[in-house]
Amino acid sequence: MAELLRAEWTKFRTVRGWVLTVVAAALVTVVPGLLFAAGSHSSCSVGPIEVPCPTPPVGPDGGAVEDRFSFVHQALTGDGGLTVRLTSMTGIITYPPPDHDKIVPGLVPWAKAGIMVKDGTRPGASYAAVLLTGGHGVRMQYDFTHDTAGRPGGVSRRSPRWLRLTRSGDRLTGYESADGRRWTEVGTARLDLPDTVQIGMFANSPGDLTVKQSETGGSIGQKRFTQTTAVFDQVSRQGTWSGTEVGDGPGETDWERYHRANGLVRSGGTFTVTGTGDIAPSRDGPVFEDGLRGVPFGLVVVVVAAVLPIAAEYRRGLIRTTVLAVPRRGRALAAKAAVIGAVTFAAGLAAAAVTAPLGMSLLRANGFVLLPAPLLTQVRVIAGVGAVFALVAVFALALGALFRRAAGAVVAAVALVVLPYMLAVFSPVPDEVSRWLLRLTPAAGLAIQQSVQEYPQVLSHYTPGAGYYPLPPWAGLAVTAGYAGLALALAIRAVRRRDA
Amino acid sequence: MRATIEVIGLRKRFGPTLALDGMSFTVEPGRVTAFVGPNGAGKSTTMRVVLGLDAADEGRALVGGRPYRTLRHPLRHVGALLDAAALQPGRTGRDHLLWLAHSQGLGAARVDQVLDLAGLGGGVARRRAGGYSLGMRQRLGLAAALLGDPAVLMLDEPFNGLDPEGIGWLRELLAGLAAEGRAVLVSSHLLSELQHVAGHLVVAERGRVVADTSVAALLAAGDRVTLEEAYLRLTGRRGDG
Amino acid sequence: MRRELHAEWTKLRTEPGAGRLLLGLVTLTAVTGVALTAGVTCPWDRCTQDTVKLGLTGVQLGQAFAVMLAVRMISGEYGTGLIRLTLAAMPRRTTVLAAKATLLTGLTLAGGAVAVAASLLGAGLLLPARGYPPPSPADGPTLRAALGSVLYLALIALISLGLATVLREPAAAAGTVLGLLYLFPLAVLLLPDPDWQRLLWRLSPMNAGLAVQATTGLDDLPLDPWTGLAVPAAWAAAALLAGGLALRRRDA
Repeated sequence: MAELLRAEWTKFRTVRGWVLTVVAAALVTVVPGLLFAAGSHSSCSVGPIEVPCPTPPVGPDGGAVEDRFSFVHQALTGDGGLTVRLTSMTGIITYPPPDHDKIVPGLVPWAKAGIMVKDGTRPGASYAAVLLTGGHGVRMQYDFTHDTAGRPGGVSRRSPRWLRLTRSGDRLTGYESADGRRWTEVGTARLDLPDTVQIGMFANSPGDLTVKQSETGGSIGQKRFTQTTAVFDQVSRQGTWSGTEVGDGPGETDWERYHRANGLVRSGGTFTVTGTGDIAPSRDGPVFEDGLRGVPFGLVVVVVAAVLPIAAEYRRGLIRTTVLAVPRRGRALAAKAAVIGAVTFAAGLAAAAVTAPLGMSLLRANGFVLLPAPLLTQVRVIAGVGAVFALVAVFALALGALFRRAAGAVVAAVALVVLPYMLAVFSPVPDEVSRWLLRLTPAAGLAIQQSVQEYPQVLSHYTPGAGYYPLPPWAGLAVTAGYAGLALALAIRAVRRRDA
Repeated sequence: MRATIEVIGLRKRFGPTLALDGMSFTVEPGRVTAFVGPNGAGKSTTMRVVLGLDAADEGRALVGGRPYRTLRHPLRHVGALLDAAALQPGRTGRDHLLWLAHSQGLGAARVDQVLDLAGLGGGVARRRAGGYSLGMRQRLGLAAALLGDPAVLMLDEPFNGLDPEGIGWLRELLAGLAAEGRAVLVSSHLLSELQHVAGHLVVAERGRVVADTSVAALLAAGDRVTLEEAYLRLTGRRGDG
Repeated sequence: MRRELHAEWTKLRTEPGAGRLLLGLVTLTAVTGVALTAGVTCPWDRCTQDTVKLGLTGVQLGQAFAVMLAVRMISGEYGTGLIRLTLAAMPRRTTVLAAKATLLTGLTLAGGAVAVAASLLGAGLLLPARGYPPPSPADGPTLRAALGSVLYLALIALISLGLATVLREPAAAAGTVLGLLYLFPLAVLLLPDPDWQRLLWRLSPMNAGLAVQATTGLDDLPLDPWTGLAVPAAWAAAALLAGGLALRRRDA
């Protein structure tokens, strides 16, 4: 096999046009991402004055987070807990669809109200909370990314929800109850907390997300102000309570100014807490793979680069010389696939290794705060681009051997790899169709680029266009590998059976 | 490995056409065997089946007693010239031989040897094959056939595109190769060119062998002075006159 | 040109590929349109989706077959060396290209008409159950979208023919045309500046050309429908001109 690989490698490298095509694939991959990064600017302003953009708070695990809510709290030293009764949870949503012309009462599904233990009031500090949501029942959440479901349902004066959160060393346990007597555990968390923490009631409400199609293609997500008001009583702890607007940024909406401000209104034992904002991993800001936007461009050239050598064999009758030299045709084709796979892997790897970090630093220089990606994830993304290049090349080569026609193979490979991606991010096809396109077609492998994680408990526009793929990275790559393997197996079978 | 080609009862059908209909003959070492017959007699198909390019519906073809497809380094056993135009135009002639050499575990030194042998030494082989004349392609194809120093040679129309000087050179080359004990099978229309080279004649028609005879016997059998006349007589193309 | 047309037609109809490609164009276009129409909904009880455009989305896929048909017509000849024979038999090279272009236009118009009609008929069967009226040929914008889509397919085929004549190598030609079609929309999304986005959108043959399919939200489009269709027409003219020049100047 080593001799075969060497022969195929010699065959490939001695045709200048083929080598140049692979180089072109790498260049075409680099350029769009860098243009995008260089052309994007971010600026922030308070009123008319431009200010440096605030750095998002960082959560306990180092990831950027959003951490904004109304917190009514007091200190808790050592072990202890808090029990409350939640009797009402209401809210407003500003300018929802379809007409975006009214402010309506209502809760967004992930509006939250409940009780929390937090390492101080600094945004991003470690916390655990047991809470009721607008549409997903009771949850136990901690440290921004962790979420455990409790009993579903809402709250009313007639059917209140009792919540309890206790600390015992580093162990926090959330409970809920319908009557304050029989308690069910919702979940537990082990957190590295200091001896003294803040404990209390909170309310918040993430922005209402609406998505509209842009007339130039793609979609635009918009978040509109929402607010939650929660009423607590039967509060188990006495003493003074202070109110903090955790993570409150500059500026207030008219609603907050004229109708209902965030914060605490206390009447005897009844606490009314109003809040806005989200407690979640941050979804805003460019991601590591934004520099890799040229990958679909590179893939088109990769397809051509892979089809050229195999199509030339058939067109020039060179296939007969190859088969004479290597009568075991399956091996000859496998060697060819290995060579084109290795070459395109190197091209993709090199292109990604240049463009992703460079794109990151360009975006940073242009004022963006990037969503962090761990080093291992970055390595996976960069190597993944190489892998996608290699698999698509093998797929295209196999189609070339099956069809023995260059145009047909190129069109089929591009239509199966690049077109689904294009339709998924650009076309007016429904989101669900987009997701299936990226599950079932060889384009699924592009998921290997995703550096950010999707959280079901965090409302965001999780679409391929925004960098979220329907399959996990390795599963996506496996789909593409499956296609490449299947096509290669069929091609090997065909060249074995056919007269050369 | 014995230097022979054995073709045993080959049958092959392309759609409605019966291309091979029980083709059988043996090519012995140490002489040039001319493989002749009218267009469509099945010469090329036979060669392609021997070389494992096409699969026969029935029968077997063996080189040195083994099917071609089982040979680990086939070009070291069998050298073949089929379609000299089958070249990637962007690749140089030398690089064409280089990848073939690599596929047989041979090195660049052997490539330069056969290039000299085929009269393509010097700078010619370092030019892109796209600009080669028919004769140069033919010489490159011969170089490829000789690359593995094979004991068996199968050449399909090797005189095509060669100038008179080239024809003389090839004749000498073929005679020399046979004299070294190799089995050489040459299909050609130019029987006159084979006259002084071929020691044996296999005549095919409609997919089977109609004559398998030594040239000396054929020429001695009658008063014919040229191979061509003898051939036409055999295939009944022309009367005795 | 009659001689050339006749010869090219004979060439085309004696090879089985063209018919299969046209069948592929019709099938893929119609199946995609019907599949997408089957998933159409009325969000917030407002049936405001552009069902005509959605039903004709298959054109974006089907055009790949038009590209293949065109590339094969010319690159296939270069691959086999048939082009030398063609040009020896018909020395007026631009006329040969014109004959090929005429035939290609005819074929893609015919295939495109069937594909578009099938897509809209399929949509017409599915839409009433989903709260939308079926598309009607009496409706001006619907008729424009249908006719425009058919013309669009022919224009894409002509762009492909021109570029394939320039590039000769079929893999490179097919890759270039598909890149032009499918990567332009992605490039539009890459641009951070909305003005640049709209500018690039106006240059992109697929973005601008398929504006002809829109029946709602016309005011938001960077170009009005027929002007949009002029963009692929300009590309086709430029590609054919370049192809004609290349064919005349170059050795066969």
